[in-house]
Amino acid sequence: MSATTEAAPAHVSTPQGLRERVWYPYILIAPSMIMLVVVSLVPFIYAIYLSFHQAKFGRVRDFIWFDNYATLLSDERFWNSIGVAATFVFIAVPIEFMLGLIGALVLNQNVRGRSVLVPLLFMPTMMAPIVVGLLWKIMLAGSWGFFSYNVLERFNILTDTSVFASPDLALYALIFVDIWQWTPFMMLAFFAGLQALPLGPYRAAAVDGANPVQIFFHITLPMMTPLLAVIGLLRFIDAFKVFDTIYILTNGGPGTSTETPSILANKMTFEFWNIGEASALAVLVWIAFFAFCTIFYQVAKKRLNAF
Amino acid sequence: MAEAVNRPEGSRGLFWTTIVIVYAAIMLFPIFWMATMMVKPNDAMFARPTQWLFVPTLDHFTYVFEQGFHWSLLTSFVLCTVSTALVVVIGTPAAYAFARFEMKAKDDLFLFILGSRMAPPVCLVIPFYLIYAKVGLLDTFLGLTLAYMTFNLSFYVWVLRSFCRDLPVELEEAAALEGWSKVQIFRRVVFPLLRNGIVATSVLCFIFAWNEFLFAFMLGGDNVHTLPVSIPKLITSQGVRWGEMAVVGMTALVPVLIVVFILQRHIVRGLTLGAVKG
Repeated sequence: MSATTEAAPAHVSTPQGLRERVWYPYILIAPSMIMLVVVSLVPFIYAIYLSFHQAKFGRVRDFIWFDNYATLLSDERFWNSIGVAATFVFIAVPIEFMLGLIGALVLNQNVRGRSVLVPLLFMPTMMAPIVVGLLWKIMLAGSWGFFSYNVLERFNILTDTSVFASPDLALYALIFVDIWQWTPFMMLAFFAGLQALPLGPYRAAAVDGANPVQIFFHITLPMMTPLLAVIGLLRFIDAFKVFDTIYILTNGGPGTSTETPSILANKMTFEFWNIGEASALAVLVWIAFFAFCTIFYQVAKKRLNAF
Repeated sequence: MAEAVNRPEGSRGLFWTTIVIVYAAIMLFPIFWMATMMVKPNDAMFARPTQWLFVPTLDHFTYVFEQGFHWSLLTSFVLCTVSTALVVVIGTPAAYAFARFEMKAKDDLFLFILGSRMAPPVCLVIPFYLIYAKVGLLDTFLGLTLAYMTFNLSFYVWVLRSFCRDLPVELEEAAALEGWSKVQIFRRVVFPLLRNGIVATSVLCFIFAWNEFLFAFMLGGDNVHTLPVSIPKLITSQGVRWGEMAVVGMTALVPVLIVVFILQRHIVRGLTLGAVKG
């Protein structure tokens, strides 16, 4: 993996001779933009419309201003879901980050056979989240699951029941699954970053006789900071919207102990058919995401000179 | 590269290699375990203590084929191919335009694309479901193909733009001086140089569509029934069909396994939306 994160020229370089035709780029982007307006902006606006209406069981009734939002914000279940998602993200992402960084430093040593090992390590991240869920449903199945029987029971953590049936442990089991799935992504992204670092500072440090710890904290870490920030932020955004694995493993249960906003919105829509309130939740989540997304864009563009 | 300065000796290289191999083996063990469950009879599966040796059976395969598993496989394949092809056709010019030309409100347009990519699918699926119910697109190929555009078209334009920016602009300038038309320049200069980027990005799009669950589950149905959707369907009121789920799950893994080996350098770039160039 030879990676480059150097700054691309900040200005846009338009080929000479194509420059005078102002309308040309708009024709090129038109099909994509029309498509994205249809599949992304229209649903968003429709969700806003629904969130201002009384809508249950697929029928849209009266315009009720912010009543859906008021109901939602006074609903304990909504705040519970925010808490669950926050716990999930703020435990899983930092652990993935640390393990990923350690893994990247190990991989950056003189490891042989990377062309085989790197793709294999990528498997958990690239596979379908629903299959990840299935995999751990098997490993952590009550009583006969490989991991349940050989680890959890042996160390008396749980006996004869699945960890996903325990209100105290289910969320931590989901966090564990997320760590398994996403640590490789962090690791290989950081590794690509390490490979792209310029050699000059390292040569200077070797001349000055710096030790490896000093080299890490005074050279590697400062140069990696923008990349670490961007990757961390990206993972942070993605971790909030995890749905498939939670759906197949617990579907929010037991009770509401693993119910994230995604799971709650899904239940509100397809189980309670409370569409107005579900749309209000969707709109709030959407706005929060767009804010994160803007931050991600700014950080990646300014600090990393990416994009 | 940084490692050259560390000057690790041969034996230390062996040490680190061993650590990575052991780590990979532990991490990938669940996949191996699921693979064995494809041919594991039920009594061996539920045995306590864990039973390592068993007489293989093809019962699980028989059952999934009786349930029309091959149709799900075909559906998934066709759906992912068609939606990826559409993404390539309409997304490639857009990526090129974003990389090369000045436009009004370009930053806002670009942020809109990123926003489409980042939006939580569960938020989209609610309005999609209601709109589709009205216009009759539920459980149709067209419906799911369109729904997949939200995350794949935006992803494709975003990532391919970073590939476009790596191309030297001088070649296009030379072609313009030669008096080539815009279409000729795109077809004969840009496209050939961009081919690797297009392949890498579109293969990732294919995998995202292949792995997609929520849209397929909510907007699909008996007609359009993809592979991931058939997994939770095997959790029935008569019990969970573990072996059958393992068969479907492992089948879903095959393209992913091929792709990680072919695309290894480009996966990091794709998954970080071009922020890290692999």
